[in-house]
Amino acid sequence: MKSLKMFAVLLVLCVTGLSYSGTDSTQVVAERVAEIKGAVEGMNESMLEMKSTVDALKKIKVTGYLQAQYQTAESEGAKSFSGGDFPKTADNRLGVRRGRVKFTYDNTISQMVIQLDATEKGVGIKDAYLSFKDPWMQTFGLTAGVFDRPFGFEISYSSSSRETPERSRLFQTLFPGERDLGFKLDITPTKGLLQYFNFKGGLFAGNGVAAETDSKQDFIGRLGFQLPLTSVNLALDGGLSLYRGNVRLDDATKDANGNPVIYSTFKLDSPTSFATETAQFVERKYVGGDLQLYYDLPVIGGFSLRGEYIAGEQPGSKSASTFYKAGGGDIYLRNFSGYYLCYVQNVGSRNQFVAKYDSYDPNSDVAAGDFGKGNSKLGAADLKYDTMGLGWIYHWDANVKLVFYYDMVKNETTSAVKGFETDLKDDVFTFRVQYKF
Amino acid sequence: MKTVMIILTAMLFSTALFAASDITVKGSDTMVILAQRWAEFYMEQNSDITIQVTGGGSGVGISALINGTTDICNASRPMKPSERDKLKQRYNSLGVEIKVAKDGLSVYLNDANPVAELSLDQVKQIYTGKITNWKQVGGNDAKIIVYGRENSSGTYVYFKDNVLGGADFTSTMQSMPGTAAVVNTVIKDKNAIGFGGAAYAVGIKYAKIKKTADSPAYEPTEENVKSGDYPISRFLYLYTRSKPTGDMKKYIDWILSAEGQAVVSKVGYFPVR
Repeated sequence: MKSLKMFAVLLVLCVTGLSYSGTDSTQVVAERVAEIKGAVEGMNESMLEMKSTVDALKKIKVTGYLQAQYQTAESEGAKSFSGGDFPKTADNRLGVRRGRVKFTYDNTISQMVIQLDATEKGVGIKDAYLSFKDPWMQTFGLTAGVFDRPFGFEISYSSSSRETPERSRLFQTLFPGERDLGFKLDITPTKGLLQYFNFKGGLFAGNGVAAETDSKQDFIGRLGFQLPLTSVNLALDGGLSLYRGNVRLDDATKDANGNPVIYSTFKLDSPTSFATETAQFVERKYVGGDLQLYYDLPVIGGFSLRGEYIAGEQPGSKSASTFYKAGGGDIYLRNFSGYYLCYVQNVGSRNQFVAKYDSYDPNSDVAAGDFGKGNSKLGAADLKYDTMGLGWIYHWDANVKLVFYYDMVKNETTSAVKGFETDLKDDVFTFRVQYKF
Repeated sequence: MKTVMIILTAMLFSTALFAASDITVKGSDTMVILAQRWAEFYMEQNSDITIQVTGGGSGVGISALINGTTDICNASRPMKPSERDKLKQRYNSLGVEIKVAKDGLSVYLNDANPVAELSLDQVKQIYTGKITNWKQVGGNDAKIIVYGRENSSGTYVYFKDNVLGGADFTSTMQSMPGTAAVVNTVIKDKNAIGFGGAAYAVGIKYAKIKKTADSPAYEPTEENVKSGDYPISRFLYLYTRSKPTGDMKKYIDWILSAEGQAVVSKVGYFPVR
């Protein structure tokens, strides 16, 4: 009996003990759960805070590319559009052609962009603009600042993507530096039939990356189309472009009435006409058309055939057919024309073959035989150039590409212009390494 | 100069093609399980082929296709015009789009949530932050915890374009790195809502979706997706840079064969053939 009592007491103690122990462990578990829940909530808050920081940082984008190159020309001091003239005492050179860093703050509907170019020649501004996109239809955009002129195809085709080392002589002459100061409207419909068309155009100072010098703005615009036939992997894009602007004459030769004299279009059938027009402003007029065809060749890879033609009236100086800048002395107004054709063939995913032919006639009213006739005032700035380029591109990886390119340049020859009696020795070979991020 | 021409010519012919013996596949997280199953089945039958599959999101896959770091891109949304432009610029090709499966883009709810159906407009209101409490759509008086995907995801883009009509997601939405993560979160939180591919919905329930407030509600079943009754269905795509050839063509042809399409059904999506 005694032992039974003892057993009962022990059992009660044990059960009670267990019960106390169970209550304790439930409490402990509850406390631990609360603790863990608190920790998770804390982590969640930290994560949300970190996310908002990361989201803010994601709006800032830094991109860029650097092009280091070796070039060799046919002669020392060769005049060249393949990255500028060679030094007088050298027929080959090393250099950094472009060292671009682009900072973009992208807030979805608004953007601010600054792009710098850092090479051994110094640091300069390439782009400095802000842009807005309409948040409702996603169709209209407005850009203001220094940015690419909305003309043709080649200007807006980035130097980091372009298969040839440089733009055509035509574009380098008409639009040196590609950029201008102004504002533009973009219209890119996203629905219906209109989605195949786009427009970009605006008003610009007309001086390139330089301060405004007169009270008149230039209009530059392009009406384009894009026809993607995805079912056959063919695309046809193109556009028509217009430049209407003015250059101001300040220190040109004056006529009897004190007005500046324009040396007009060099039409040799009316040789006296060139010095008869007078004006304070002279028009700068270009009209252009561009077309790009893309097609995927089975097994080999895609190819593109691109062409562009521009003609118009260019106010320049006696020694150059680049656009006239205020303070440039006498003005020479020339009718010009030029074009290029470029074929790019992808060979597999890493290799590309490129062939390009470009032609620029700064004075389309005259032929080689007209030089030296009468009082024509024709000179080196009126000579036509044709350039044939051949190249190979190897894409090492997503960042690095190697470019091998050979430019064969042929100039119009005439015994009437000193130094241009024969074709100049100005062919250039370029080997370039590009790193892009 | 002749030497230069010789060097150039030599370069033209010496830079041989780098033909890849393996096939790399990258892109949509929605499609990653499907793509892995395809690869496993195909490699079992073709031991000489290695197929590497990774996710990351449709946007990541398309970037990889443009950068040349993948052969095939999985995408749960069509390629954007800006992405096609980049492909065109680098490869002179618009890319080749192949529809390989169909998916009912599903709205996930916790099993304990009394809400069973939502209209498209209600889903939009929830994801744009206009509706914030379950009682506003016939549920409990509890705050709606909104989960979604990161903006590199094709599902994110498709949902934004087709459900939100291009509007921005609510700032309270918590972005998850993959559809599986969205599902896991909704499983654990009875007040959560998420979205993703139909194949992932294990342990949770689908919200039946109504086109309008008055129309009938449908689940993302094969029948409803095929008939078009389920209002947010989409194609799943493969993209290649050029027309596929060689081993890649054989693999894609197999994906589109009865055997490859059977894998689509097994994983939980809907075949296109």
